[in-house]
Amino acid sequence: MIQRLKDIYAYRDMIGSLVRRELRGRYKGSVLGFLWTYINPLCQVVVYSVVFSVIFRVNIEKFYLYLIIGMMPWTFFNTSVQGGSTCIRAQADMVKKIYFPREVIPVSYVTSAFVNMLFSFIIVFLAVLASGFGFYWRGMLFLPVIMLFEYLLALGVAFAVSAVTVYFRDLEQIISVVMMAWIYITPIMYAIDYVPEQYRILIVMNPMTPIVEVYHQILYYRMMPTPNYLILAGGTSCVVFVAGALLFAVLERNFAEEM
Amino acid sequence: MAENLDTANRKKKDEPAKSQDLIDGNRNRGAIGEPPVVIEVSDVRKSFKSYQDKAASLKERFITPSRSKHEDVTVLKGISFQVHKGEAVGLIGKNGCGKSTTLKLLTKILHPNEGQIRINGRVSSLIELGAGFHPDMTGRENIYTNASIFGITRKEADRRLEDIIRFSELEEFIDNPVRTYSSGMYMRLAFAVAINVDADVLLIDEILAVGDAAFQKKCFEKLKSIKENGTTIVIVSHSMDQMYKICDRLIWIEDGAIRDQGTPRFIGEEYLAAMEGRRLDRIEYENRLKKEELERQIQAEQERLQKEQEERLQREAARKQKEEEESRRREETRKQKEEDGRRRREELAEMERRRQEMEKNETAKSLTRFCRPGARRQGTWEVKYDSVKMLNSEGLETTCFQVGETIEIQMEYSGRENVDVNFIIGFTRLDGVFCYGSTIRLDCKRMWKSRKQGMVIFKVKNILIKGKYVLDVRIRAEDESFIDNIYSLIEFESCDDNVTDAGVAVMEHEWFVDGVKVPVNVEERQL
Repeated sequence: MIQRLKDIYAYRDMIGSLVRRELRGRYKGSVLGFLWTYINPLCQVVVYSVVFSVIFRVNIEKFYLYLIIGMMPWTFFNTSVQGGSTCIRAQADMVKKIYFPREVIPVSYVTSAFVNMLFSFIIVFLAVLASGFGFYWRGMLFLPVIMLFEYLLALGVAFAVSAVTVYFRDLEQIISVVMMAWIYITPIMYAIDYVPEQYRILIVMNPMTPIVEVYHQILYYRMMPTPNYLILAGGTSCVVFVAGALLFAVLERNFAEEM
Repeated sequence: MAENLDTANRKKKDEPAKSQDLIDGNRNRGAIGEPPVVIEVSDVRKSFKSYQDKAASLKERFITPSRSKHEDVTVLKGISFQVHKGEAVGLIGKNGCGKSTTLKLLTKILHPNEGQIRINGRVSSLIELGAGFHPDMTGRENIYTNASIFGITRKEADRRLEDIIRFSELEEFIDNPVRTYSSGMYMRLAFAVAINVDADVLLIDEILAVGDAAFQKKCFEKLKSIKENGTTIVIVSHSMDQMYKICDRLIWIEDGAIRDQGTPRFIGEEYLAAMEGRRLDRIEYENRLKKEELERQIQAEQERLQKEQEERLQREAARKQKEEEESRRREETRKQKEEDGRRRREELAEMERRRQEMEKNETAKSLTRFCRPGARRQGTWEVKYDSVKMLNSEGLETTCFQVGETIEIQMEYSGRENVDVNFIIGFTRLDGVFCYGSTIRLDCKRMWKSRKQGMVIFKVKNILIKGKYVLDVRIRAEDESFIDNIYSLIEFESCDDNVTDAGVAVMEHEWFVDGVKVPVNVEERQL
């Protein structure tokens, strides 16, 4: 196990250059280039806020802000899981032909999505300023902590789904269906107390709920994150991360043969 | 002047001393103990699951829930070997024998089912070149990315950047996107990155076929210098020439097990002989198919002719009842038809002749086990060859002769007694240049009387320049007509480890410049 970590550390530059390649290569050749990182989620936010505040008349003050704070972390998680499920198979050429610790691929994929989220937080901060809400600085100290938890959670899930997809390709399709539903059991487009009491347990069981809630508490409600959410988020993230990494380590041995 | 002479003398004295050192060095190495083992492969087995049609989707797996519909294909059946530090080992064997699988196991891309592989030190593999190149990024950016895939840090890559660019000869294009490169440039860049990685162990799979001849030579020289620096090399290649030059040892893998290992020449010759046998079997099989095809054609043609004849008879019987005045025209058409028939019969005869010729060509195979597939044989066969052997100076039958070595050709013949015959030998270069010929008639100014059975031996010192040649053997009559004429019977190779001449033959020569004899700096040429 120690040997594995050493091995991955030795390939840290590969992770770095894969992340760079991912970030730079994705929009290379398109006219707006890196701006798409912003345009894409922004349009999504505009569509949702029009639908939910004009048509459904959701009763949340400054709904666009509430939505955008939840949407950016969700986009990161969604990209990590959906893209993560195909990332090993997308690099089949490399996996079949050269040696490197296989963990490098999901790690660099999730990291590049994470970097994208960091960039998109510029929009979040601008939106906070535009709303006139201002920042709650003591709470802001917890922002890096919750980002780390979300990173671990996303990486853990990406480890698991990327490895399983190599053996079982249907997972790719299953994942996209699951993710489509998952966003609706996460309090992004509604507040958690809208949910009827008997279903609320379902929402809280979802590991993304405490994470999104902590983001809301820090940036929208301008309060200290409640410890029970923080502990829940930290605990599930670590468990999922370790489980995903272990599953990956077991399945990784036969990647080259299965592809 | 005197000083010059002195240094020259010293140089001369030094040289043998140096080579003596080398020999001693080798001996010492053996005496103190061999250099440390870098790669240890012990009893490694590997099998792959072979699905008839891999059930990768949910539906299929649902229908056949047990994944038992596969067969295990065993690729490696327990191989063990060791490679010492600084050694270069070549893996040879026919396609599918497990060489590449072995190499992939060494790189840790695949894992063995049983057995263990231990490697000490950093491994770099030149198995897949250009993996991970991004077409939209520049050559320079791709060097960094590609180097990082080999586990090189950015700092190290910075240090080697200049070397890599110089080696790839892409200075002008290095800041253009890789997608604008030609495939040759692409491979050159990839190779330059891969080979400039400092590794303790270098694994190479059939990749010295990169770029043009000049670049290939450069790669090869680089590889040699890497080896001299003490890097351990494991190489898979089908080019025996390269293997001989680089490797200290060859391992011959057959059907997933080590068949033999040892010094390159020895194992290589043995392997080539085995391969040659296989190839000849294959050619024989193909020739038989061709002959059968010809026979089938002949039969079909005969049937068609017969049928036509019958039809014509019928038609003629019908025509006889027709009016008299048409008879003349009918006569003409009949003649035409007959003409056609005749022509067709001629074609048939020609085909038959070709078939016989082919049969005669095939008899050449019984003369020698190294018979060239394109051998042609003609003649009356009043007297004919029964066996032809090419022997090297050690009296072994082979197809590879060193320059300077004596080639002995033994030809047994049999046939009618007292025929005036002339035995002829000829060497032709593979590209058709006739290089040498000799006949008994010209040597002794008369014809020879054949016996019922006999043997002709022809000895000649090989001074043909390194290359491939074919042997022609002939028996001709006084009027130069063919008695037994065999073209391209054996393809052989003139081998030379140290080519210093150009042209057709290695002629004995001396150079004098300004009254000084130029020393010939040829190591161990067996002239």
